[in-house]
Amino acid sequence: MIKRFLILIAGFYFLALLQTSFFIHFPLAGLVPNFILISVFLINILEKPQKNAGIFAGFIGGFFLDIFSSNPIGFYALILLGLSLLTKIIFRKYVWAPVR
Amino acid sequence: MKFTSIKAKILIIAIVAALVLSLNFFRAETKGFFYYISTPIQKVFWSVGDSIANFFGAVGDLNGLREENDQLQGFFHELLAEKAYLTELKEENEVLREALQLDLQKEFQLVLVDVIGKDIGQDSFLINQGSRDGLSPGMPVITQQKILVGRIAEVFEKFSRVVLISNKNSSFDAKVSGTAITGVARGQGGSNLKFDLVPQEKELKADDLVVSSALGGIYPEGLLVGRISKASRDDVSSFYQSEIAPLFNLESTTMVFVIINFDND
Repeated sequence: MIKRFLILIAGFYFLALLQTSFFIHFPLAGLVPNFILISVFLINILEKPQKNAGIFAGFIGGFFLDIFSSNPIGFYALILLGLSLLTKIIFRKYVWAPVR
Repeated sequence: MKFTSIKAKILIIAIVAALVLSLNFFRAETKGFFYYISTPIQKVFWSVGDSIANFFGAVGDLNGLREENDQLQGFFHELLAEKAYLTELKEENEVLREALQLDLQKEFQLVLVDVIGKDIGQDSFLINQGSRDGLSPGMPVITQQKILVGRIAEVFEKFSRVVLISNKNSSFDAKVSGTAITGVARGQGGSNLKFDLVPQEKELKADDLVVSSALGGIYPEGLLVGRISKASRDDVSSFYQSEIAPLFNLESTTMVFVIINFDND
């Protein structure tokens, strides 16, 4: 579990670096997609509702977004954490998915 | 148990949130630390991204460059056409200026025509005006230097064919300028002329200038024909064996004048 979290930390750190240094060169219609938000969203949707990695991903992804943006630290971290929690609650309570 | 678990989770989240928010008290230090350790990697990412973006930007610009190139080529062709037109006008202007200096317009009623096709083998050429422009067969054709070129042999609606004085079927009266020596200039083909029927008792010599004579009524008097290139006597004939080197040069002729007020009937 710790290993998975470390991988998520490293992954989101590099994703944040890519977001601010690499993807910024390739705007689509003047906008650069936020790959951290997309990743957090995908992790939360694709992992089993009972797992908590998505919540952690939301927090850590948001944290790195805050670090590499001009926002106060915690702005994105708490928003993504809240959204991840909300997603988990919705998936656990209202969305039926076949057991993998 | 479940209540406790939820409470514990909320507590953990609240603590984490408080911790994260508390980092804002050391915001500069915290962000500075991350920037410090990230700068080398960011530089690499930035450089790679910049290079790739430049490459694809250049590839994307190819269409723009192609369009711009097409536009410039079109513009270039327009300028070329304009230049050609201006060159033509300049040439025409020079011809007219030269003709004015010789007072040709006072002496004759002239029409400036362009040579549009040449048949050097047949000693003839095509001009760009015809019956629609008032031209008719027999009209003399001269250059701006008052050099006799030939006459119109065939007239079409928009074109006319001019036969040179060196054409084999051409024959007209001529004389040596400034003298009473007269003869008949006969075309020999290949830009050659023979000066025939000059009595041997007259004094004819090389380089004498030959001009047209009004005698036969084919051409107006005084048009330059050429210079005597060869004049020899023989015992058999009572006339000179002489040749004329025509002054006109068909190969470099692009514009000529047609004398339209000369009645050669």
